[in-house]
Amino acid sequence: MFYLIGLGLGDCKDITVKGLEIVKKCDKVYLESYTSILTCGVEALEQFYGAKLILADRDLIEQGADEILDDAKHSDVALLVVGDPFGATTHTDLVLRAKEKQIDVKCIHNASILSAIGCCGLQLYSFGETVSIPFWTDTWQPDSFFEKICNNHRNNLHTLCLLDIKVKEPTLESMTKKKKVYMDPRFMSVKEAAVQLLEILKKSESIVIDESSLCIGLARVGAEDQQIVACSLSKMASVDLGGPLHSFIVVGPKLHPLEEEYLLQFRIV
Amino acid sequence: MQVNFTVDEIRAMMDKKKNIRNMSVIAHVDHGKSTLTDSLVSKAGIIAGAKAGETRFTDTRKDEQERCITIKSTAISMFFELQDKDLVFITNPDQREKDEKGFLINLIDSPGHVDFSSEVTAALRVTDGALVVVDCVSGVCVQTETVLRQAIAERIKPILFMNKMDRALLELQLDAEELFQTFQRIVENVNVIIATYNDDSGPMGEVRVDPSKGSVGFGSGLHGWAFTLKQFAEMYADKFKIDVVKLMNRLWGENFFNPKTKKWSKQKDDDNKRSFCMYILDPIYKIFDSIMNYKKEEYESLLPKLGIILKHEDKDKDGKQLLKVVMRTWLPAGEALLQMIAIHLPSPVVAQKYRMEMLYEGPLDDEAAVGIKNCDANAPLMMYVSKMVPTSDKGRFYAFGRVFSGKVATGMKARIMGPNYTPGKKEDLYEKAIQRTILMMGRYVEAIEDVPSGNICGLVGVDQFLVKTGTITTFKDAHNLKVMKFSVSPVVRVAVEPKNPADLPKLVEGLKRLTKSDPMVQCIIEESGEHIIAGAGELHLEICLKDLEEDHACIPIKKSDPVVSYRETVSEESDQMCLSKSPNKHNRLFMKAQPMPDGLAEDIDEGKVNPRDDFKVRARYLSEKYDYDLTEARKIWCFGPDGTGPNILVDCTKGVQYLNEIKDSVVAGFQWATKEGVLCEENCRAVRFNIYDVTLHADAIHRGGGQIIPTTRRCLYACLLTAQPRLMEPIYKCEIMCPEVAVGGIYGVLNRRRGHVFEESQVAGTPMFIVKAYLPVNESFGFTADLRSNTGGQAFPQSVFDHWQIFPGNPMELGSRTYTIVQDTRKRKGLKEGLPDLQQYLDKL
Repeated sequence: MFYLIGLGLGDCKDITVKGLEIVKKCDKVYLESYTSILTCGVEALEQFYGAKLILADRDLIEQGADEILDDAKHSDVALLVVGDPFGATTHTDLVLRAKEKQIDVKCIHNASILSAIGCCGLQLYSFGETVSIPFWTDTWQPDSFFEKICNNHRNNLHTLCLLDIKVKEPTLESMTKKKKVYMDPRFMSVKEAAVQLLEILKKSESIVIDESSLCIGLARVGAEDQQIVACSLSKMASVDLGGPLHSFIVVGPKLHPLEEEYLLQFRIV
Repeated sequence: MQVNFTVDEIRAMMDKKKNIRNMSVIAHVDHGKSTLTDSLVSKAGIIAGAKAGETRFTDTRKDEQERCITIKSTAISMFFELQDKDLVFITNPDQREKDEKGFLINLIDSPGHVDFSSEVTAALRVTDGALVVVDCVSGVCVQTETVLRQAIAERIKPILFMNKMDRALLELQLDAEELFQTFQRIVENVNVIIATYNDDSGPMGEVRVDPSKGSVGFGSGLHGWAFTLKQFAEMYADKFKIDVVKLMNRLWGENFFNPKTKKWSKQKDDDNKRSFCMYILDPIYKIFDSIMNYKKEEYESLLPKLGIILKHEDKDKDGKQLLKVVMRTWLPAGEALLQMIAIHLPSPVVAQKYRMEMLYEGPLDDEAAVGIKNCDANAPLMMYVSKMVPTSDKGRFYAFGRVFSGKVATGMKARIMGPNYTPGKKEDLYEKAIQRTILMMGRYVEAIEDVPSGNICGLVGVDQFLVKTGTITTFKDAHNLKVMKFSVSPVVRVAVEPKNPADLPKLVEGLKRLTKSDPMVQCIIEESGEHIIAGAGELHLEICLKDLEEDHACIPIKKSDPVVSYRETVSEESDQMCLSKSPNKHNRLFMKAQPMPDGLAEDIDEGKVNPRDDFKVRARYLSEKYDYDLTEARKIWCFGPDGTGPNILVDCTKGVQYLNEIKDSVVAGFQWATKEGVLCEENCRAVRFNIYDVTLHADAIHRGGGQIIPTTRRCLYACLLTAQPRLMEPIYKCEIMCPEVAVGGIYGVLNRRRGHVFEESQVAGTPMFIVKAYLPVNESFGFTADLRSNTGGQAFPQSVFDHWQIFPGNPMELGSRTYTIVQDTRKRKGLKEGLPDLQQYLDKL
């Protein structure tokens, strides 16, 4: 049996009871370590779950999936995923391939940033398409997400922006070499996201969103030291919310009175 | 070191830029460049006149003197004063400073052997004019054509010198009319080449050579004599009472003189004689005849008539020795050649006006461009370093080049930009002080305070920042001066290793120095750790290895047998639509490969089709010449490998959203795949890849470089494998000169080596034959020796890389020749043996 187990957002204790029971009985437990991270370390997880964790980086999940799945034919294998297995991350392909190999798959859900984002007081019902904001390089500066934000805005919807994380990414130079050189881990902060958005604003002639548009910055949602601020886009470019992970919301043009009232507690000017 | 000049005097001349001539001497191997150069140098007073013809002043290396061939090009500065009567021939005010009779001539003698053509390329870049030397016995040869073509492409103005007239007279015994016909044919041949590559209405104007204008010289470098029609016109001007210029016109071509009626005619009839034969060749023939046949009375009466007065010590000589002295006294080579150079070759002021647009990559109206165009010493510095010259200090080099604008001075701070520098970026850019500026003259160097525009010089201390070539400037926004395009490619390679493994660091350091010291050689480290040296041919590699062993690394070296580089291509269109999925499976690329139509890859090599073209103009060209679909031809994403190679990637998609966001990643994958092809990681060639469709993840993060680059490569590999992949091998064009009896032997050798003859002809007026053939480079190792042993040492080949050709046989078929080559190459590169597996690259829907 192949289990996909959501770990939730905070620390080791956010795992569900059902999930914990399965982890304990599995022969092999992988921890997906590249699409998100928990605030506590791997050691803390291992201690709490009482199981040895195998770190699965991008190469292993994307290219070595067969290795993981083949074990699951005869024994129980679990892949731990921060948040929800089908949430912001994309593990559908893994399930399809397991099905191809006629391996049973079971999924244990948990909280995802896509649901926990409700903590800022905006109604989940009024969110539009979710986008990611990637780190720009000198030559690669995609801005298609901006159009999506504008579309949401026009439709009176908020936009949740997931911010890029690079845990073990090869550098562009080494991508075309046989020996990979990996970049240092990086996590985009709300400040960097705001700066990139302002850059795009300079280039485009958007009338929908401008420097004064209301934005919300969130850090470490679900953890003890969770932090939320709401302010204008230009102000956000100078906000420091501390360690990872950060998320970002571009608030829609019209707020429900209750949303407005709830946001007040996070407002800074 | 100088007999006649101090550095200060030369420095003063450098400011008189209209009186400067920068020139190279170019020719086929053994046509006598270096010997001829010596007679120039002897005239300019740096070595004693008596030694001219015996010294090879410019061959500074021991092996050059031993082998009697030039390997490295050498620069010399000379000074020459024109007499008042000759100054009137200079009509362009930009060709002479007012009231200045002296000319500073910077001459570069470069090798004639094709394997060293890159040296010629480097020489041409820093000069404005070229003295093309042709052996009048063998005529225009393959290397004459190659270098002349290059010269015209660089906008270098040529003048012609017919060398080895002594051989034509003494050995071939041609009669005067035959000799005239030979001369005329060579002039025509040269002008045909010039006309092919230059348009008279172009910016350079008319560049044809014309004996009646004085831009063609005749003579013998070995014997130290030479003339142009001008010399003879001057002798006869008084007699005929005709102006020198008019008389020059009469002394060439279809002009006949009847001594009885004293009438000129345009046609030959019974009583008249061709003026060139009568007034120029006859006296020369008489001198030759009387001296070589020891007719003492005859020549003793003849010499005073011609105004030749011998020195006392020469009067006792006879035979060849006397002939030399007489001819040299009568028609001193230096005088005639230096006049030709000063009158017919352009000054930097003239040349840089039309050369600027060919030299500069940046906007044609910025400060640097204007500075170059005007050859302005007060503009920002723009200097091109064309090669590195080893110093006596091991491992250090002088950077040799030409100042096109501004001044370069000892101690000045400048920007040193390598060929990969792009304006606004920091890559390949250094800001450093120039340690020292030097004058380079043959074997000697002299420190000099500064060097103004239009001159050639060397720099000390720049070698650490440039690999081979580069641009040096003081202008912050300057673009690069264009990188030189070589006419030969490094297609032959050997692997080297130290005999003693502990010497490896010395080898690595030695290879670095070797790379610097030769304009073209490439030193590569393979994935397997092997050190590879790639050069133009066997001789080139031989010299490189010798230099490496003796000068650069100074350790004993083991070398492998030479191997050639191959190219990977396809022979059909992919038999299926190739799909590859990104690692996260959310992005899909659909592509196909197909062979380019014949000629397109060559067009790209030659820059006729290139990435910097306006895409509309390029598309029209492709659709007209190659029948490409116009809309598709407008959407060429890139060329590769290295952004300029002869493979293209065409966007044939329709309405794919966000395609632009992955373009850079796809291009990077394309560069990678075309650089390291699927068969054995050789460059791809003549392959067109089409992208038909792309499925992308909705979110930008999931379609970044990490997902797209490897996927593109896999997809392109699948495209190659499904399109009947083939290998291409480099082919030499060989020109073999030999007497008729040896022709049979040549055919035998060529047949055994997969070569084929495409032309065989007799050299007019000689018993020699020229056989032209195509020969795979792979079969050329030991060719020269083989040919000699099969023709009794009578055939001498010159091979120059000509084109790439598909190697027959399917490399995917066990047992074929190409299969073996692929496997050998893979083994050498440390790759997995066996055939690449399509399933690794192709995904299922």
